[in-house]
Amino acid sequence: MKKTFVAMFTLTAAVLFFIGNAPAGNVKDGISVGNAGAFTGDAAAPCMEIFNSSQIAVDEWNAKGGIQGVKIKHVMGDDAMDPAQASNVAHKFAADKSMYGVIGPPMSHTAQATLKIYGTSDMACITTAASKPELTEQGYNHFFRVNARNDAHGPNCALFIAKELKAEKVAILNEKVAYTENLATQTIKSLKELGVTDILQDTIVGGAKDFSAVMTKVKSYNPDVLFFMATAAPDHAIAVRQMKEFGINAHYFATEGGRDKNDFIEAAEGAAEGAYIYHFSPDIYAIPEAKDYIDKYEEQYGSISGFGPPAYEAMNILLMAIDRAAKDSKITRKEVIEELHRIEDYKGILGFPVTFDEKGDLQGGATYFFKVVDGDFKQVGVMSGM
Amino acid sequence: MRPGPFGLVPRPAAILIPSRPDSMDVLYQLPQQLVNGLTLGGVYALIAIGYTMVYGILFMLNFAHGEIYMIGGFAGWWVLHLLSSGNRLLMNAALVIALMIIGAMAVSGLVGVLSERFAYRPLRRAPRMNVLLSALGVSIFLQNLVLHFQGAKPRFFHVSALIPQDLRVIEVGGVVFSFMRGLVITVCFLLMGILTYVVKRTKMGKAMRATAQDIEAANFMGIDTDRIIVFVFLIGSALGGAAGTLVGMLFTQVDYYVGFQAGIKGFTAAVLGGIGNIFGAMLGGLILGLLEALATSFFPSAYKDVVAFTVLIVVLVFKPSGLMGERIREKV
Repeated sequence: MKKTFVAMFTLTAAVLFFIGNAPAGNVKDGISVGNAGAFTGDAAAPCMEIFNSSQIAVDEWNAKGGIQGVKIKHVMGDDAMDPAQASNVAHKFAADKSMYGVIGPPMSHTAQATLKIYGTSDMACITTAASKPELTEQGYNHFFRVNARNDAHGPNCALFIAKELKAEKVAILNEKVAYTENLATQTIKSLKELGVTDILQDTIVGGAKDFSAVMTKVKSYNPDVLFFMATAAPDHAIAVRQMKEFGINAHYFATEGGRDKNDFIEAAEGAAEGAYIYHFSPDIYAIPEAKDYIDKYEEQYGSISGFGPPAYEAMNILLMAIDRAAKDSKITRKEVIEELHRIEDYKGILGFPVTFDEKGDLQGGATYFFKVVDGDFKQVGVMSGM
Repeated sequence: MRPGPFGLVPRPAAILIPSRPDSMDVLYQLPQQLVNGLTLGGVYALIAIGYTMVYGILFMLNFAHGEIYMIGGFAGWWVLHLLSSGNRLLMNAALVIALMIIGAMAVSGLVGVLSERFAYRPLRRAPRMNVLLSALGVSIFLQNLVLHFQGAKPRFFHVSALIPQDLRVIEVGGVVFSFMRGLVITVCFLLMGILTYVVKRTKMGKAMRATAQDIEAANFMGIDTDRIIVFVFLIGSALGGAAGTLVGMLFTQVDYYVGFQAGIKGFTAAVLGGIGNIFGAMLGGLILGLLEALATSFFPSAYKDVVAFTVLIVVLVFKPSGLMGERIREKV
């Protein structure tokens, strides 16, 4: 018993020692970047858009000769939205000696599950969508985001609901994952500050394909706005359809996951018309700098929903940091993180300059609002703080 | 001020049901939740029948039954897809709906029979645990087969072409009956009625009951029990497939993962009603569906399964063989 304990202790200490003191790698041994996300399951469409957009950035860098003449490898790690699988992906990435950074994970619960694994292996992570505030409040310095946090989205959404939609009664349904739970709390807090106190709060099961029982409850509450917080667009399609079916006379307001033309607007067969949605990235077609990226994406992969552009931006920023860290042909993961903290006013395709604060958060995050008009998302507003 | 949902229709139960929809009154929600629960319950019942029939004869839990349901959903989607171009149907809507259900029943029935032939029959005399594991294997196999060939993204049923606009939703006294709900309830009860007739009144049904009672004795009496078992898998799977395509039409989506949840619900309904008893499965399904819908009115919606399963546990504590189950006699 005692022997086993000693052996385990030594082994753990040895593992920790090697993880903690990764020797400086040589650039010539290869450079790879990871991409962690839910590439199968209900969120496969936005996650593939993230991957493909990152791929465009990698291809562009490789066409220019890569980093120090070394071609960059882009590795996919599928977590299927499951925290346990996300941890497996993180361990695999951390063990890859040639990997110097990861794009993702794009969801708060998978990001939370892997925070420590990436953190202890000094792997720089840039998420393009995970918005739970606590992710950057836990003392790690490896985690960055190019999207705004929930404590920006929540108040901004509350502002939009109260001021633009002029709602007095609001029903808020959330899927009970880290991101939606948190967004619900933030939104309700801000709505109350804005004087909207008549709020129905309830929960749903994501991927349940049927919300009719809870819609019956919403109908009897008779709200002005139904803020439906679900991660995946197909759930929004069913929810908005059933809201109309039950004759609930409210504005449907969707979370960012619903910004998918095929899986939300077309899947709802007209029921989504007039629905509102918030998103962390602006209408990319209105930004001139993004034209080249849009052309490349549409030529190779089809239409863009909104999850892609931040990923293209994030990958470019990550590769820039790796490039700077590799100036002397020697590179460590720690150097990459330090370089990311030095990024200042990076101007890419998102329409706003990217600077990370000391926690890794995006400085001055905004929330964009869209309305479904004639079967497409039309930007109708932007909010940045109360 | 928005008009109330009752409009000008006078309501007989005006004293009981509060007229102001602005209140969160459970009584106001009750009629609608009954409709919701009945739809769901009919579907659960159809799935539960497949579990219970197989268990009644072979004493095995066919874990793959949920996937058979899922495959039925995909089969229905393909029929709809092949019979429509864009949002326009190539033939009469009623015919398309009928073909969707029949197609789903045929495909699911076939998959059920094949799984019996290749995964369960070779293990007929093996310990029961082996068959259970084999069923689990079939479940994983079918799920991944569909994932491989149909992809991970959900398929959307473009149902708007199936129902004329003015028939889509009918509202009576604040209770919404959609056309699809009506269809699902009708088809579920029709299929259950046909099954009841087959089991109670036909020669095949008699042979099925005899096989369920004592498979060896039935064999001695000249009943081809292997054929009966195939028939049971065919019927059970076909009903599961019908449920899959009905849910697809109602909720408009199917993906490779829906079988898991549906399988659990169907199995629960079968146990609640008393596994091995067909009428118990029907009753169990309806009760489970109603419980889930009603629970939502009293508790946060995410806890509806908790409520349903709590009731299941309570029932099993007081009646371990389920609501209509008989005590299983030890065969000597």
